[in-house]
Amino acid sequence: MSSVQALRKKGDPAAAESVDGGPAPVMAVIRPPLPQQTPVVRNPVLVWLRSHGVSMLLWLVSIGILLGIWYVGTRYRLEFYIRFTNVPTPADVLQKVVEVNQSGKFMLNIGISVRRILIGFSIAVVLGSMIGLLIGRYRIMRDLLFPICEVLRPIPAIAWVPMAIMLWPTNEVSIVFITFLGSFFPILINTIHGVHSIDPVLIRAARSLGATEFRLFSNVILPGAMPHIFTGFSVGMGVAWVSLIAAEMISGQFGIGYFTWEAYSLVSYAEIGLGMITIGVLGLACSGGIQIIGRLLMPWSTYASAGKK
Amino acid sequence: MTEQSRGAIDIRDLGVVFNAGGNTVQAVNSVSMDVKPGEFVSLIGPSGCGKSTLLNIVAGFVRATSGSALLDGEAIRGPGSDRGVVFQQYSLFPWLSVRKNVEFGLKMKGVPVAQRIPQARTLLGLAGLLAFENHYPDQLSGGMKQRVGIVRALATSPQVLLMDEPFGALDAQTRVVMQEILTNMWQQFRISVLFVTHDIDESIFLSDKIYVMTARPGRIKAEIRVPLPRPRTPEMTYTPEFIGLVQQLKALIREESLAAMGSELKEGGLSGFGIDVGPRGVEQVV
Repeated sequence: MSSVQALRKKGDPAAAESVDGGPAPVMAVIRPPLPQQTPVVRNPVLVWLRSHGVSMLLWLVSIGILLGIWYVGTRYRLEFYIRFTNVPTPADVLQKVVEVNQSGKFMLNIGISVRRILIGFSIAVVLGSMIGLLIGRYRIMRDLLFPICEVLRPIPAIAWVPMAIMLWPTNEVSIVFITFLGSFFPILINTIHGVHSIDPVLIRAARSLGATEFRLFSNVILPGAMPHIFTGFSVGMGVAWVSLIAAEMISGQFGIGYFTWEAYSLVSYAEIGLGMITIGVLGLACSGGIQIIGRLLMPWSTYASAGKK
Repeated sequence: MTEQSRGAIDIRDLGVVFNAGGNTVQAVNSVSMDVKPGEFVSLIGPSGCGKSTLLNIVAGFVRATSGSALLDGEAIRGPGSDRGVVFQQYSLFPWLSVRKNVEFGLKMKGVPVAQRIPQARTLLGLAGLLAFENHYPDQLSGGMKQRVGIVRALATSPQVLLMDEPFGALDAQTRVVMQEILTNMWQQFRISVLFVTHDIDESIFLSDKIYVMTARPGRIKAEIRVPLPRPRTPEMTYTPEFIGLVQQLKALIREESLAAMGSELKEGGLSGFGIDVGPRGVEQVV
């Protein structure tokens, strides 16, 4: 094959024809079907390593710095405005992990906290995204429901603790309610924002393809708002933990927040550290879980442009 | 074929007035035009002349203030799958794979999955995109996205294809290829096309008939037939007939662009540069 032919073969059909053309009988051109383009395939492991290898290293360094400061501060009992005198050492806390696991009480506290989060957050997910979709899409719903939300939203969930204890029959329900409140508003607001941020051209496209309002809602509005709804879930999960821990510290009898506060009252400093780290790990696990679910439900988001990577 | 007799657009004395922050803007004024079944018609004119508005009327997105817009003799009441629309911006659903985007209209019609998958695959094959059926739109290039957009609009077998500057965002080379692909597909499907563009060469290469619009408020300034034979090839753009049409259209549009600018710049501002603003009027060039 000559280099010219190779070039022609490589080029797009139009370019190839303009080279071939010349005085050829233009009228009698019979078009071959378009050549099928093929996607580029790359080894995903290599791609991941190349883009994330350095990041991984930096993450380790970052965590290492934090542990280092903690160790040095407590090992040498540093005192310079910040006082490390009573702070437990990493070794103390590690030892406590073994100790508390000898009875089931610590795991029970964790279990109760996680259950409160799951119930409160799940209710917020359902109500927050459903009401958010309706408010976002329909003016009537916005006028009817949004004022209530805007009046209640500035009140932090923690401020609801006394009222919640009066409102609900048991302490347990009121703590779940506080957890729900904390995550409800971030989910609601992000869902509304998600509906509003859908490109109007997508709605026009769906309509011109024969979508009725109901079909539009489930096939365009919901998936279109999904990335923002999941942002709401992430933020909501964070606020849910904040609210839960505060509620448990104030009115709880169980839970990891109560455990941490009780440790302070009982002057068991290592347990304070353990409680804090446990709360951190649980929060991290929950947001990680949301991210994983988000990626599974929105495989396209990996490719979405505009800084969504 | 029965489709041959369908897909006629008939627009009579159409006017559109927009309300923009208390001000009323006459976007389109007493426009009459028609697209015959199976005809490829372009709308061309200076930016802001209301050509997209006209297309949106036919699509059913915008309502006319006065006059009538008929599709096969029936008034257009809203958007529907009998008119496929290809937009200037990429309008693929980012959460659906390429194939599911193409299936969307069929799904809305209630076509079962077992039937819509092979239909979508056939269409994607025609557009040379079968290998990308499971890709997401964000993984495609601009030209590929618009090809999927065209195929998606054709999937419901509409009688009319409405295209609003579909290749406006593409680079010049891709644009030429896309024009060829579009003519190929149009010839296979034998449906009417209403094509909005501001690219003169593009309108001549693609169309049977070109309507030139005036500056706002948009009216039809001229109706020009393109006598070039089909199938069209890129070489035809060098023929005297083609070049003659380009010059004719350029002159018409230049008048309108100057008229549009003339209303913004003070009189003499342009003639000071030696530019002849010229008279303005509706003429019929056939």
